Amino acid sequence: MENVIIEKKINKKIPVKCKNKSNFIPIFMISVAILTILSLFYLNIDWVKLFSRVPDMGHVFWQLGHLDFSKIDLIFSSLLETISIAVLSLLYSLVLGIIFGMFAARNIFKIKALSIFTQSFFTFLRAVPTPVWVLLMLVCLGMGPEAGVAGLCVHTTAFFTKSFAQSFESISDETIEALEATGAGRLSIFFNAIIPTALSQIVAWAGMRLETNFSECAILGMVGAGGIGFVISSSLKGYDYGTAGVAILLVFIIAYLIERMFVRIKRSIN
Amino acid sequence: MKQILKFENVIKRYPNGVHALNGVSFEMKEGEFISVIGPSGSGKSTLLRTINKLITISEGTVVLDGEKISDKKGKALRSLRRKVGMIFQNYNLVYSLSVLQNVLHGRLGFMKGFKGIFGIYSEEDKKKALSLIKELGLEQFAYNRASDLSGGQKQRVGIARAIMQEPKLLLCDEPIASLDPSSAKTIMDLLKDMTSKRNIACIVNLHQLDVAMKYSTRIIGLSKGKIVFDDTPDKLTEEAIEKIYGTSYENLMLGGEKSEKEDSFNCA
Amino acid sequence: MKKKIPLIAHDLKKIYTIFAVVVVVLFIVCTILTNFNVMSLVSNGDAFWSFITNDFLPPKLPKASRIPGVLSSVLVTLALALSSTTIAAILAMFVALFGSEKVSPFPKLAKVVRGFATFLRNIPALVWAFILFSSLGIGTGVGFVALCITSFAFMVRAFVETMEDVSQDCVESLLTVGGTFPQRVSQAILPSCLSGFLSWFLYCVEVNIRASTIVGMVGGGGVGMTLFSYIKNFQYDIALSIILLIALMVIVVDQVTNILRKELLK
Repeated sequence: MENVIIEKKINKKIPVKCKNKSNFIPIFMISVAILTILSLFYLNIDWVKLFSRVPDMGHVFWQLGHLDFSKIDLIFSSLLETISIAVLSLLYSLVLGIIFGMFAARNIFKIKALSIFTQSFFTFLRAVPTPVWVLLMLVCLGMGPEAGVAGLCVHTTAFFTKSFAQSFESISDETIEALEATGAGRLSIFFNAIIPTALSQIVAWAGMRLETNFSECAILGMVGAGGIGFVISSSLKGYDYGTAGVAILLVFIIAYLIERMFVRIKRSIN
Repeated sequence: MKQILKFENVIKRYPNGVHALNGVSFEMKEGEFISVIGPSGSGKSTLLRTINKLITISEGTVVLDGEKISDKKGKALRSLRRKVGMIFQNYNLVYSLSVLQNVLHGRLGFMKGFKGIFGIYSEEDKKKALSLIKELGLEQFAYNRASDLSGGQKQRVGIARAIMQEPKLLLCDEPIASLDPSSAKTIMDLLKDMTSKRNIACIVNLHQLDVAMKYSTRIIGLSKGKIVFDDTPDKLTEEAIEKIYGTSYENLMLGGEKSEKEDSFNCA
Repeated sequence: MKKKIPLIAHDLKKIYTIFAVVVVVLFIVCTILTNFNVMSLVSNGDAFWSFITNDFLPPKLPKASRIPGVLSSVLVTLALALSSTTIAAILAMFVALFGSEKVSPFPKLAKVVRGFATFLRNIPALVWAFILFSSLGIGTGVGFVALCITSFAFMVRAFVETMEDVSQDCVESLLTVGGTFPQRVSQAILPSCLSGFLSWFLYCVEVNIRASTIVGMVGGGGVGMTLFSYIKNFQYDIALSIILLIALMVIVVDQVTNILRKELLK
């Protein structure tokens, strides 16, 4: 019997772990640990200085806690602007994403070159962080909501294109074939069969993206666009901690509400 | 025969107001093999889990091997839990570990400090575990991942883990509900055999009446959190069954328009 | 027959109608609030296009003497993302153990732990960076802490969910054996959840690569800072090549993490 053999072979200790166990996880963890240590050396962070300033941090939080509602008008109007930009960019990207998703999905037009080209182009757009796009749009279009919406749209459309194409491709070829057999055209198949089937997934993706878009939008102000981010960064720079505290709190509350709402919707869909 | 377990007027209320157990009292002696039967939601699972305080009771007392479990905490609770092995419907193994490691988990309650944390077991324990694995016919799988096994084999690992604890009492929560009929028979035979050999008292929650009649020395019938039957299997008349399940005996045996869970009577 | 024959059930139609109305109203309200005009984008199309062709294209490499500096700034961004995620993951693992009612030895504290993580998570990384800049000063170290905070909070939530999905059953079985809390962690939770944890870790690395670029733009160092300085100096053609470099970096990291994740879940 095998265990007898094992006992004889190794007189001292009986092994307990799986035989032919994959070593991937331990190797992976060790290399991450080594890389992290190397990174920390490379970054050469002055930890002593950093930690010596930690008491200052407490001071800043203390000041942030002293909410100052005197500029609430400004905060509210810029918060509304931020939310509007987030919603608008989401809606525009939704339409664009469906159109480009149609091109990117392999099973709709069945032109391989088109879908590969669309997919790789949007992979590039997705790889560049949103604030970079917004900065570029600011340069092109000047200050204003246009730059914010357009900049956010680039990344959001790229995200939607990829995820919608995935949803479209998950629809079985048989369904499409059956409709082709009736003589329906590509576009009518797309709008009558594929969109309704993928609708629940589209809603789920959109909800998820609203969360991201809001927090992206909140930080846009910090790189120069308007909105709540600008209020936060300028009042922090001007040592107006009370106003910054109110603005940050509101950002938190809105983000939290969107998250809860989305969890609710997800539950009711399932 | 020594008394091993005593329930005295045990009540369990859940926060949502459901009375899962409503004044349950019974005693159990060494060497008994009790089957607990009853419809879904009658409190079978709750009853079993109050014995080792996985669920805390609301009122009454549970005495395990002469000690009141309801007021035990921390270390004392852990050492009392050691005396009670448990087998689950879903096997509850750690699937990424080897079969041998899973069986050795039965010894964790006896180990202290970093040896327990890092799973450094004594050679004695390992030998014992291996011979137990052999006894259950799993010797060629000792070093396989637990996820590679079939359902019946996983449950055998579950039994081995419980036996490794050297328990005085074994709790089995629907041990055969997820198994096919032939594996179910193997598991029940093994349970009966292992417990009688080692003089371990055993409580089994069952959905299958015929299995309960065949294996147990005593049957407890639960309905709506109360004991409505408590006697040897030969006393389980059609009337008693009707009282437990609230429906006629014919309905149960034919399946008919019963719910899915009750249908499983007929499968085994 | 005056009425059209409906194609879908009545109440479903009602839901769709309400949904559509809400979307349209939202669209109109937001457009009014921001004065956003698509047509202005279209009418400015020419200027937009000439701007791109004149100022951005073709991408130009920075001066040869600057190239090593640019490359090392990419390395800083990568190092920042990886090290902050690792430290955050280690902390998150310990905290997540106390964040689930079913696993934690102090079930009553679980809600507090999760609430704290929710608070940290719902404030964007860049806002943290700004708060920290105003107290700790500008520098890579602060970028590191800001990234740590958000990825820590994110991983606490992800780890708690993984644990509740995967290891509830085996935790129960080790309870009946009489195992202590550290034993339950090391013998049941870790072996069954480790690959799940690591896959979330990889996801976080991906997110943090982007985030560390952004934090860099406002003063955290790295390639983001390099890009920002070129844009500020109107050297858009060089900025474009840096953007391409960033895209390349992100795509390569995404590919690597994808391969690793597939290997993990085998």
